[in-house]
Amino acid sequence: MLKEKLQKFFKLDRRWIFLLLAIVLFAPIIKPIGLPNKTISRDVQNAYSYMDTLAPGSFVLFSLDYDPSTRPELQPQAIAMIRHAFQKNLRVGVVTYIAGATGLIQQAFEKVPKEYNKVYGKDYVIFPYMANAVAVLTQMSSDFYGIYDKDQDGTDARTLPVMQGIKNYKNMALVVNITGTSMLDIWVAYVGDKYKVPVIGGVTAISQPGYGPYLQTGQLKGLIGGMKGAAEYESLIKQPGKGTSGIDSLNLAHLLVLALILTSNIILLIIKYL
Amino acid sequence: MKLIKKQIPLAIVFVFGVLTLISYYIPHKKSVDFMEMMNKWENIVAAFAFFLGLISLFYSHYSKIARKVDGWGYSLFVYIGFLAMVVPAIYCHGKQMDAAGKTALGWSFSFIYNPLSATMFAILAFYIVSTAYRSFRIKSLQAFVLFVAAFILILGKVPLGQIIWTSVLGWTGAGVDQVIDWIMSYPAVAGKRGIMIGIAIGAVVTSFKIIFGIERQYMGKD
Amino acid sequence: MNVMIKNKLGFALVLLFAAANTFAAKPGPAAKKATADPLLPVAGLTVIDMPYDVGGTALLKWDVRPSDTPDVTYQVYVSSLETGGWIKAEEFPADTRTGKDIDLPFWAWDTSVKEHAVKVELNNYYGEAQSTGSLFHFKVAAVRGRNTAESEVVSVVTLSNWFRLDRMNNLVLLLILIVAFFWAVSHAKRKGLFIRRIAGLDAIDEAIGRATEMGKPIYYMTGIGSMSQISTIASAFILGEVSKKVAQYDSQIKVPHYDPIVMTVCKEVVKQSYMEAGRPDSYRDDINFFVSQDQFSYAASVDGMISREKPAACFFMGYFMAESLLLAEVGATSGAIQIAGTDVEHQLPFFFTACDYTLMGEELYAAGAYLSKEPMLMSALKVQDLGKLIVMVSVLFGIIFVGVGAWRHWDPFVQVILNMFKAY
Repeated sequence: MLKEKLQKFFKLDRRWIFLLLAIVLFAPIIKPIGLPNKTISRDVQNAYSYMDTLAPGSFVLFSLDYDPSTRPELQPQAIAMIRHAFQKNLRVGVVTYIAGATGLIQQAFEKVPKEYNKVYGKDYVIFPYMANAVAVLTQMSSDFYGIYDKDQDGTDARTLPVMQGIKNYKNMALVVNITGTSMLDIWVAYVGDKYKVPVIGGVTAISQPGYGPYLQTGQLKGLIGGMKGAAEYESLIKQPGKGTSGIDSLNLAHLLVLALILTSNIILLIIKYL
Repeated sequence: MKLIKKQIPLAIVFVFGVLTLISYYIPHKKSVDFMEMMNKWENIVAAFAFFLGLISLFYSHYSKIARKVDGWGYSLFVYIGFLAMVVPAIYCHGKQMDAAGKTALGWSFSFIYNPLSATMFAILAFYIVSTAYRSFRIKSLQAFVLFVAAFILILGKVPLGQIIWTSVLGWTGAGVDQVIDWIMSYPAVAGKRGIMIGIAIGAVVTSFKIIFGIERQYMGKD
Repeated sequence: MNVMIKNKLGFALVLLFAAANTFAAKPGPAAKKATADPLLPVAGLTVIDMPYDVGGTALLKWDVRPSDTPDVTYQVYVSSLETGGWIKAEEFPADTRTGKDIDLPFWAWDTSVKEHAVKVELNNYYGEAQSTGSLFHFKVAAVRGRNTAESEVVSVVTLSNWFRLDRMNNLVLLLILIVAFFWAVSHAKRKGLFIRRIAGLDAIDEAIGRATEMGKPIYYMTGIGSMSQISTIASAFILGEVSKKVAQYDSQIKVPHYDPIVMTVCKEVVKQSYMEAGRPDSYRDDINFFVSQDQFSYAASVDGMISREKPAACFFMGYFMAESLLLAEVGATSGAIQIAGTDVEHQLPFFFTACDYTLMGEELYAAGAYLSKEPMLMSALKVQDLGKLIVMVSVLFGIIFVGVGAWRHWDPFVQVILNMFKAY
């Protein structure tokens, strides 16, 4: 009798689970609980420390390759890292190899530079979308302007103060690649390894475990994973943003998954042995 | 006919396959230029093929609408969606922002493409949860090991889980972070490397089969 | 150039031991004494074209001197003109940058610490076109405090080279595999080759049979890879076999596509299979159709079709990313038999949980041979096994050699082993 009831529980319409998850995700966004963001993972700490020790005026190239689908996870990472770069008075250049990213880059740079009184062309520059990433990345190794002779507004890139003294990867202090695709592998293999440029990655939580080997070998100087990574970075630069506000939902959703797995296994055990 | 359908394509595959292979060992400018040219050709072929795809797409949905098959209404959205992005893009010369702010393309991007794309990715979260519930059952010893690893990982991913770990298992002296680090750096990487090496060797042999014309089903048999 | 290229392992080993000894024996007192010495110009500076590269890089070498202390700086200057026009290319402390800092293996490079070795990449200072094939002049200045001593000027024309000797290890492995491949293929036998059962592939018949009984279609997804990816090619092979069976059973198959080129190829493959099965009349051109080249539009569209049509079976073979679970979960809830196969290892867990059978990585590649039972294809699988054997043996002995080497402090020996297994 009990067994049959439990069996039924197994065949639960999955839409109930969807509803449960929706509530767990929505409730904290509407009414934040303020759960603590306790630890900072090693890889995020490394990323932060690396950026933090760069000399003011160093040039950091941001390759922001994500589209709206992965925006909730990756945009907060990008904004946190750009904020950090501006705090440290680093020069910022932005490139992208995903057409869908251009709008998101625009959104990020509408706001952030103003907070630090940064001026377009002097402190940061945005380059247009380019197709065929591998070819572009290889070409940039000898002459950056061979590919990017103009910025997104069509201004001659060589004349911009922010590009002063930048000719190729040799003049860049760091490459930051935030992506929901396999672009990070391309940056590591074609640029990081080949031209000895330090690379820091920002990826979705789902693909984060796959980069373990690169971190072990030092091919990646640091890695930010998912919304939690963004929240950690935000807490390191002491600028809570979208990442931190998502942490409550993230907490509860993870616990929900655990609870569901546990329930289904307990039911399984009862059916099997009782 | 056999010459055109079989021998010439096989010869092309062989010649370019071998050239690409040996270009890895030849650093000369000529070999670099050759590889660049191949990449460009591939892009050009892909661009033409895209038109083929578009024609196929429009044709298959047109026939659905014409025959009024089940759900033919959805097919209308193929055309609506296509026009909603392409017309503003042509009209605004591909620019999303101008002096006056968002252009029509910028608007389509932010308010059509952006939410649609985000919705699809967000559904993934719901599916992961429901799959976890339905399929994550401890039916064997291996499944149990997987369960333990996954449990620790999920717990350690969020601050609340970390607090739970410290209050329940804090006495062991091992932080959840350390345990996760160990799982991710040793057993997980070892497994991943094993699969990667197997895949790499499989890829090498498959490439041989294609270059030397032994596996040629992709061009239809005879 | 001949001086530095040493193919003989024995000689290189001796050299490495010698180098290690010199390094270890470098005494402190001598260096201290040297600071008092007057700053001498670098003698015996040589420049050659950097070997094994595309061009545009020169390699300067000169002997390490006892006076090379950290307070001395070397500056390397380059010029394309007969007189003047010097550009400072490199600057570094005198106790750094020796032969062992150049990342090349022992059979292609003398990793001696007795010589300074500095690569100068000319395309950083001159145009891409000028930096290969033109004459360049170099000089080295030793600087201590305000004193500067300049060497004589040396010149070189940089070249584009024809062979990457540093990739010799890779080439040897390739040749072994090619020989093994031809041996295996030419000795292909019709019978007697054992292949482990692959449950996922055996289930294909069952899936097609079920579709025929239910009168419902089969969906076959080739993934979001391009035609140049091995997994997509493997997927096309399997599609050929699957559609042949579909044609025989007179069932229905639908193949939605992400990439138009893959679609074009698959059209040929399916058409051929229908002809082979003797049912060319059942073939329709809209079996293969294009959906979208946007990952999530593709997933949304295919999900819609699956949930409306409730197919009897779904195949996911090829390269998949985040859409793997989006597709497989919808298929699972619609009640289809699902068989997946991918070489994207981080998507495997999703397929495992949502599909009935999953082919991992190389099983996907082997599927064409397994299903077609063609002796030549089957025997090529032996080469795959040989490759794995080579890797396993190498890993085992590599661990032992490097472990023992590190324990006994045979640094040059460890270096030789590591060089042999490194990709350059």
